Amino acid sequence: MGDRLDLPQGTLDLLILRTLALEPLHGWGVSERVRQMSRDVLHIQQGSLYPALHRLERKSWIKARWGTSDQNRRAKYYELTAAGRRQLETQRSDWAKLTAAVADVLGTG
Amino acid sequence: MWRDLLIRLRALVRRRAMEDDLDAELRFHRERQLEAYARAGLSPDEARRRLALEFGGLDQTREACRDARGVTMIEHLMQDVRYGLRALRRTPGFTLVAVLTLGLGLGANTAIFSVVYGVLLRPLPYADPSALVVMNETTPKVGLVSVSYPNYADWRAASRSFSAMAIVVGVDYDLTGGSQPEAIHAEAVSSNYLSMLGVRPALGRDFTAGEDQPGAARVAILGHALWQAQFGGDAGVVGRTLTLDGDPVTVIGVLPEGLRASDSSDLLIPVGVWLGDDDQAAARGNRGNTVVIGRLATGADLDRARTEMGGIAAGLAREHPDTNAEFGVALRPLREVLVGDVRPALLVLFGTVVCVLLIACANVANLSLIRGAGRAREMALRVAIGAGRRRLVAQLLVESAMVAALGGLVGLALAFAGTRGLLRWLPADIVEGATITLNGPVLAFTGVAVLAATLVFGLTPALQAARTDVTTDLNEGGRSATSGRRQRRWRGALAVAEIALALVLLVGAGLMLRSLSALLAVDPGVRTDGVLTMYVGLSSDRYDADEAKQAFWTRLLADAGALPGVEQVALGTNVPLTDNHSRTDISIDGQTFPVGALPHPDVHIVSPGYFRALGISVREGRAFVASDRAGARRVGLVNRTLAERYFAGVDPVGQRFAFGRQAPGAADARWITIVGVVDDTRMYGLDNPSRLEVYVPLGLAGASEMTLVVRTSGDPAALVPSLRSVVAAIDPERPISDVATLTDLRDASLATRRVTLLLLVGFSALALALAALGIYGVMSYGVAQRTNEFGIRLALGARPRDLLRTVLGPGLALAGAGIGIGIALALGLTRLMSALLFSVSAADPATFVSVSAGVALIAFVACLIPGWRALRVDPQMALRRS
Repeated sequence: MGDRLDLPQGTLDLLILRTLALEPLHGWGVSERVRQMSRDVLHIQQGSLYPALHRLERKSWIKARWGTSDQNRRAKYYELTAAGRRQLETQRSDWAKLTAAVADVLGTG
Repeated sequence: MWRDLLIRLRALVRRRAMEDDLDAELRFHRERQLEAYARAGLSPDEARRRLALEFGGLDQTREACRDARGVTMIEHLMQDVRYGLRALRRTPGFTLVAVLTLGLGLGANTAIFSVVYGVLLRPLPYADPSALVVMNETTPKVGLVSVSYPNYADWRAASRSFSAMAIVVGVDYDLTGGSQPEAIHAEAVSSNYLSMLGVRPALGRDFTAGEDQPGAARVAILGHALWQAQFGGDAGVVGRTLTLDGDPVTVIGVLPEGLRASDSSDLLIPVGVWLGDDDQAAARGNRGNTVVIGRLATGADLDRARTEMGGIAAGLAREHPDTNAEFGVALRPLREVLVGDVRPALLVLFGTVVCVLLIACANVANLSLIRGAGRAREMALRVAIGAGRRRLVAQLLVESAMVAALGGLVGLALAFAGTRGLLRWLPADIVEGATITLNGPVLAFTGVAVLAATLVFGLTPALQAARTDVTTDLNEGGRSATSGRRQRRWRGALAVAEIALALVLLVGAGLMLRSLSALLAVDPGVRTDGVLTMYVGLSSDRYDADEAKQAFWTRLLADAGALPGVEQVALGTNVPLTDNHSRTDISIDGQTFPVGALPHPDVHIVSPGYFRALGISVREGRAFVASDRAGARRVGLVNRTLAERYFAGVDPVGQRFAFGRQAPGAADARWITIVGVVDDTRMYGLDNPSRLEVYVPLGLAGASEMTLVVRTSGDPAALVPSLRSVVAAIDPERPISDVATLTDLRDASLATRRVTLLLLVGFSALALALAALGIYGVMSYGVAQRTNEFGIRLALGARPRDLLRTVLGPGLALAGAGIGIGIALALGLTRLMSALLFSVSAADPATFVSVSAGVALIAFVACLIPGWRALRVDPQMALRRS
């Protein structure tokens, strides 16, 4: 618990897009996948996850449909659109440039 | 962008379903999380506590999702509309006054803009109308004159700036064979005229190139109005035959409606017909009633075209000095020619209604500020419980927009009712040929005006109210000292603006009033009351012989003179106060004039009774008598201006003049002996200076068209039917036209100014009333707010005079500032209306002083009433109330 980090502004969208790039997921799935992929470092709160999902949907980067979950329950699945995929590529390379630059400055690279 | 809006709208419309969706989605998430906690070994109670801790409030999440979906903006708007409706219903007095005030302002703007749009802005119904140019010849003596046909032909051949050039010749005909003989105005045009404009006949065919040649077949394209009037809009009219001046003419087509350029002409004929009929048409020196219209070639501009045409005219002047010396060429854009004269009046009117709207806005802003002061507590409360200030501003602006929209609806209703009346009332030369309706562009203008008005009157009160100071406003019942002072400053500024605008309008109205009274004081040189004029033409083979014409005129004079009620009857070629004219050069015996400098007077052919019938006094010598006829001595009269200019120090009676350039020793037969001098008349309307005039007797000259002038002791209009039957009894085929009383003609020459004046007076009176109300409102509100203070002062023994001074002082300072700013504005703005002024300067001191004094007086009265109320404050009552 103690090693949890606050997400920098704007990274939440990038994380969501990235997890959805692998497969369509429902909201809980997104938060779980981020937690797993970050080795339990990043926890996305419900209070920021769902507004972010709705915002991305409005921007047409992801789209939602109701489906059935693995336990046969109704769940709302989000998947990446073509525009979302392009957006992910841009944001990813931007992020790589940014972190590399910051690492250079900080001498941690 | 569109998709975004779509999602927002869908979110709004399917609000219930989406809320359910969201709840289901969040529930699913919580259940999965609880399961995850259970798997991690937490007890159900502990898991729920952990969930609540980690997830935060469900409501906040919901709200944040709504925000993310973009529903809130629209939802807020709808909330604001509902809230605004409630708020407006709570203050029906404010709502009613504000809506009506704005309605008046917006209605006036819509109505006047519909005229401005129809006349000035609406695109002309031609292909690329901005490339169309009207060309006239010019001479230093008279300015713009007509173009002779050979010059047109040479222009057309030599110029490179124009892709097409067409000639339009005004010709008058007597149309017979229809339901009733009618004198019509036709235009003889070159065959490229319509195609150059980009106009196709609504029925039938256009002219062909062959019809440009003299001796072309007699064909005609009917104007839309004549087609409706004489043929009832019958589509089978093509191929039928009319009779023009006794000659059969075949109808080959009908013009579309609303053509504008040729609207005043009843039909078009090919120029070849005119060339064949008029043996003077092909003379280079014959500048009849002709204008040339050209279409600028792509890439050519007006300035280059002017230079080129100027060079061509100079070349023609060298080649043909006898006819073209001193003649240049003038190019004007077609729109300028069509609307140039009426633009100043319309723009002044439009500026006026915009001022009225601004004043109305200032008044409503004032009312809103007062209302806002009463709601300060409500606003403070809303801020205290968490309303954002932006939200408050937005909400108040929505309220204002609703008031403005309602005002706009009232305005549209007023404009709809008013435009028709306005059209009947506006002089024909303003609205002629224009289509004026509440069409799309006009409605769009009203919409923009509503939005602009919302910002003008709504923004200040909204910002004011949102700047509420929570603690003081809640504690002091909404009368905190700071916001009160700020308010007073704003409302003072509004009152100053209103007074300044009202003063500008009043100065405008004052200047128009002085112009009109100066015009009415102009002596037209004729007695206008009780005089009827009508045109009678003899263009037919039957009257080819001079004797036949003279016989007709003699009998007409005798029969008309015998009608009961007729006091005087006479004939003349051109009646004063119209702009009909016939001018020519004259030579004066014993005087020499250089080339192009011959006197160029108006020429009248008149019967002996003309001067008595019109009340033109004979200053020297004698008028004409019945014995001034063919075979007798050739005599003529000149007017005073001509006598003073060319016979200074000499008795003009007995001197001689002759038409055209005469060699000094020319034969006696050409000279006309002056037998008298008559007073000047205003031939071209009251605002035009007197010109040179000469008169020759009808018995000597003969004429194929005359204006009958009848003076009666009774109602001139009542004579029209009997005069018609007198003419019909002599020859049933003679049409009568242009029936008017001289009073009509005088009024028509003043109509634009008179209507502008009346509208200006009406609007500025409205503006002044609104401004007086504005300053009164500011002052009386100030007094009401300071009732306690006055009570204390009176209780402490203040003298009424001092109290009055504290009230009047600031009020008069506001009025003074308003008047000062108004004078400065008016000095700048009235120059724009100088085209409408007559013998009064745009900075006329008398007008400025008297208007300022009047405004000051009204402002003083508006301050005095609240001041008087301040004096009557009962100290006991006032103190007890606090």
